[in-house]
Amino acid sequence: MSALDELRQLRRGGVQVRKSDNRAAFWFLAPWFAGLLLVTIGPVIASFALGFTKYNLIQPPRFIGFDNFLRILSDSRLHNALRVTFTYVLVSVPLQLACALGVALLLNRGLRGLAFYRSAFYLPSLLGSSVAIAVLWTQVFGTDGLVNRVLGFFGVEGRGWISDPDTALSTLIVLNVWTFGSPMIIFLAGLRQIPEVYYEAAAIDGASRRSQFRRITLPLLSPILFFNLVLQIIHAFQSFTQAFVVSGGTGGPSDSTMFYTLYLYQQGFSRFDMGYASALAWFLLLIIAAFTAINFWAAKYWVFYDD
Amino acid sequence: MTTRRLATPVKHLGLVLIGFVMLYPVLWMIASSLRPGDEIFRSPGLIIDSLHAENYTEGWYALSPSFGTYLLNSAVLVLGCIVGNLVSCSMAAYAFARLNFSGKRWWFGIMLGTIMLPIHVIIVPQYVLFSNIGWVNTFLPLIVPKILATDAFFVFLMVQFIRGLPKELDEAARIDGCGHPRIFAQIILPLMKPALATTTIFTFIWTWNDFFTQLIYLTDPDMYTVPVALRSFVDSTVATSWGSQFAMSVVSIIPIFLAFLIGQRYLVKGIATTGGK
Amino acid sequence: MLRGLRRRTALTVLLSLTASLLAACGSGSEAGGELTAEPVTLRFTWWGADDRHKRTQQVIEMFQKKHPNITVKGEFKEWNGYWDSLATTMAANDAPDIMQMDEQYIASYAERGALLDLNEAKKHLDTADFDQKALATGAVDGKQYGLPVGLAMYSMVVNTDLLAKYGIPVPDDTKWTWDDVRSIGEQVSKAGGGQVFGVQSPGINDTAGLSIRARQQGKALFDAEGKVVLPPEIATKYWTYIQDLAKAGIAAPPSVTVEKASAGLNQSATATNTAAFGLWWNTQLTALTAASGAKLKLLRLPEESQAKSPGAYYKPSMFWSISSRSEHPAEAAAFVSFLANDEEAAKVLLTERGVPANVKIRAAIAGQLKETDKAAKEYLDTVPVSDPPRITPNGASTTDAILKRHTEDVLFGRTTPEAAAASFIKEVQSEVDAAK
Repeated sequence: MSALDELRQLRRGGVQVRKSDNRAAFWFLAPWFAGLLLVTIGPVIASFALGFTKYNLIQPPRFIGFDNFLRILSDSRLHNALRVTFTYVLVSVPLQLACALGVALLLNRGLRGLAFYRSAFYLPSLLGSSVAIAVLWTQVFGTDGLVNRVLGFFGVEGRGWISDPDTALSTLIVLNVWTFGSPMIIFLAGLRQIPEVYYEAAAIDGASRRSQFRRITLPLLSPILFFNLVLQIIHAFQSFTQAFVVSGGTGGPSDSTMFYTLYLYQQGFSRFDMGYASALAWFLLLIIAAFTAINFWAAKYWVFYDD
Repeated sequence: MTTRRLATPVKHLGLVLIGFVMLYPVLWMIASSLRPGDEIFRSPGLIIDSLHAENYTEGWYALSPSFGTYLLNSAVLVLGCIVGNLVSCSMAAYAFARLNFSGKRWWFGIMLGTIMLPIHVIIVPQYVLFSNIGWVNTFLPLIVPKILATDAFFVFLMVQFIRGLPKELDEAARIDGCGHPRIFAQIILPLMKPALATTTIFTFIWTWNDFFTQLIYLTDPDMYTVPVALRSFVDSTVATSWGSQFAMSVVSIIPIFLAFLIGQRYLVKGIATTGGK
Repeated sequence: MLRGLRRRTALTVLLSLTASLLAACGSGSEAGGELTAEPVTLRFTWWGADDRHKRTQQVIEMFQKKHPNITVKGEFKEWNGYWDSLATTMAANDAPDIMQMDEQYIASYAERGALLDLNEAKKHLDTADFDQKALATGAVDGKQYGLPVGLAMYSMVVNTDLLAKYGIPVPDDTKWTWDDVRSIGEQVSKAGGGQVFGVQSPGINDTAGLSIRARQQGKALFDAEGKVVLPPEIATKYWTYIQDLAKAGIAAPPSVTVEKASAGLNQSATATNTAAFGLWWNTQLTALTAASGAKLKLLRLPEESQAKSPGAYYKPSMFWSISSRSEHPAEAAAFVSFLANDEEAAKVLLTERGVPANVKIRAAIAGQLKETDKAAKEYLDTVPVSDPPRITPNGASTTDAILKRHTEDVLFGRTTPEAAAASFIKEVQSEVDAAK
């Protein structure tokens, strides 16, 4: 624990900018700067500007002031989309990370056939965004799917879980948890980076497994846990493909899987209202930025860095 | 100690059970790819009465050019993206993790900000941009951004890994008179192998599966990649050859699965097994 | 160096963006001019699945043999990707020369100025063998923005194997009513024991069913100006009927219905032999028969004989359109003419894009058709129709999706048929207004 206190003190002291570092940083960041200027910044500015226009993708954009942003306040289908998206983020991210961390811890220890299990658990993630997912998910949660057959065995009558507005979102949450492979791999890589000597020393001191986990694994894995948390939240807010593929692009039934980005996409590409879609994108950016800022602020209290 | 010995089979049993549930859809897809096309939705479950390999031959030649072209295109694209991401993202990550330069927090914020805008509003202006340079229907709009470190996910990932490395290592090197390029190349890079392996695996898989940008930028069927081709089997307005579709889906998973199998070996060779300092 | 670079790139980006956002007019040759002898490359795009891709590529090669200086690059996509890609290329002034166009979108693209009036290219585009009524389906405000490829008619598909299995006679479709559908469906559901149902619920995949109901009473969804004029009572009655089918167990439970209807043709209730009746386009009979493996028959729509005028109409399965910004409109028109009029090409394409709208071609390929295609053609040739409804107006391209959402709301008890009717009409109207 004392290491954390030390770290906090270091933080308060602030970081000194070194002159030689400036020059080095320029060269190390040169590709990134170039990318920012050549690839990223133009489209970003364009999308911001389009947010203040009516733009149907073919005729020139027409300036309409804040109309698109005002529409956000009164668009009831958008409010539903926000509700759906928040539910999805708040439920699926913790579940997915817990699964990923749990399995990674299990697979990190010596166990026969490790490579096999790792691969087996990763396989679903390979399929995650494939178009076949729509059909495969019906095979699990559809009327004639696996879940209903298991339920039928116990005499419980099932339903079409994907096509019932009360349960459709839950199946997408399960789908997201099912593809926990990516954060799992990142956790595994992180676990592999913890020097074995720490555990050896702790074992000599007679520390139990549990206390080793609390005192060594958790703090040393915290930067990775933090990374996964931040990125999975951003990712979940932008979740699109799975809902798009499973609902056939509609966000149905009854808008129950209408994610924010899916709604945005429909505005831009089905209704040809790219102005409103751009405004929606910048509104989403604000929400995600707020969540990320909170995350970074909270990180001060639980993420441990060695620098 | 006896409970330990008992625990292992139980653990395995649990893992196998979870594994089966997780793999069920994948197994179903493989089973369906071996069924005659019109039976797929009439006979549910995993059991197949007879093996039918014709979905594979039909699927391979169902589109023109044949499926081999798409696999090759995807392979070229993936290779370019991997090299781009490994080089550019690790450099940027080193700067963010180890250098104290002015405005660092701001630049870092901007970098994270770039992944917060949904692709759907970026793609149109970006397409306009690339179309004006004449890059449409080439792999350039898909690879060049990777060479220019626009994939902030991997920059951030590597930053987190580098920050997890003991700082005494580069302090010692600096005292020995090493400059940043050498510290980066000779100390940091070898130690962050797990992160590099992760980046490689993910870039491979995500590029291999990415549909939207490839659909938009590649217009000529000779340039199509696997995900674009796979969707060309499926059209909700007409009958779909699901048999061919599943067969080619299985074929297209094999390369990424192999990539994963090979890549994950390097995940294990982190600091833990090389012994650290 | 960096500063210079920055200024220059910022300028390039800005310039290129504005250049393309400010829609430039098409340059190049005139649509009515002579065909060039210079080498020309045309881009041609369509949506579909593998069978269509193969046939179309074959026809492209036939055309290239006849016109050695013209190269046609075929770009195939599936439905969703097609529209995303088309919208994006349009924005960059980079759209393909020839495209397959859909009834829902043609007015939208035409009114935004993206499509060429095919009359300008009359010299190269022969439409003499087209029925005037059929041609009219591709015209907006007197301008021909699309040439209909195939025609389809809404019809009731019945699974005669299922009816025979339960000993229920096939109804006489010259007199039957929606109530007959209900009562026969009830018998099927009873015999089906929860596995097979009478009717595949309408109201999920397209607005045609609703439109037909309105037309049978002399009304319509849209008037000539594109205003929504659907009487709310008709919509209310429509959703009450759907709700009743589900409640009485004549259609499958709502979640099953929605699942099967959303999953595409192969997984529909008709294709999986789990419903005896279903509303489909007559041209889908072949695909449905292949998927179900059962005997399917096309019946006339219910209540047609009692109606003021037939609700049935010719719906163009799709159109050929030419980009208004094409640099080679004359050559593009020649290619479209080849697609629409060449008998050799037609023998390759057959009815894959619907029963040909070109009457002469329809007769020419008659001998080559499969049993089910023949039935579809015969249906088209014999069943009485009235004038087609107004083309889906600009802004109303999402009407199908709006209808589907309202049907789901009704089926799952989230709204009443009355409220759904009012909300549907209001929403479609506001979409049309928003596009102006």
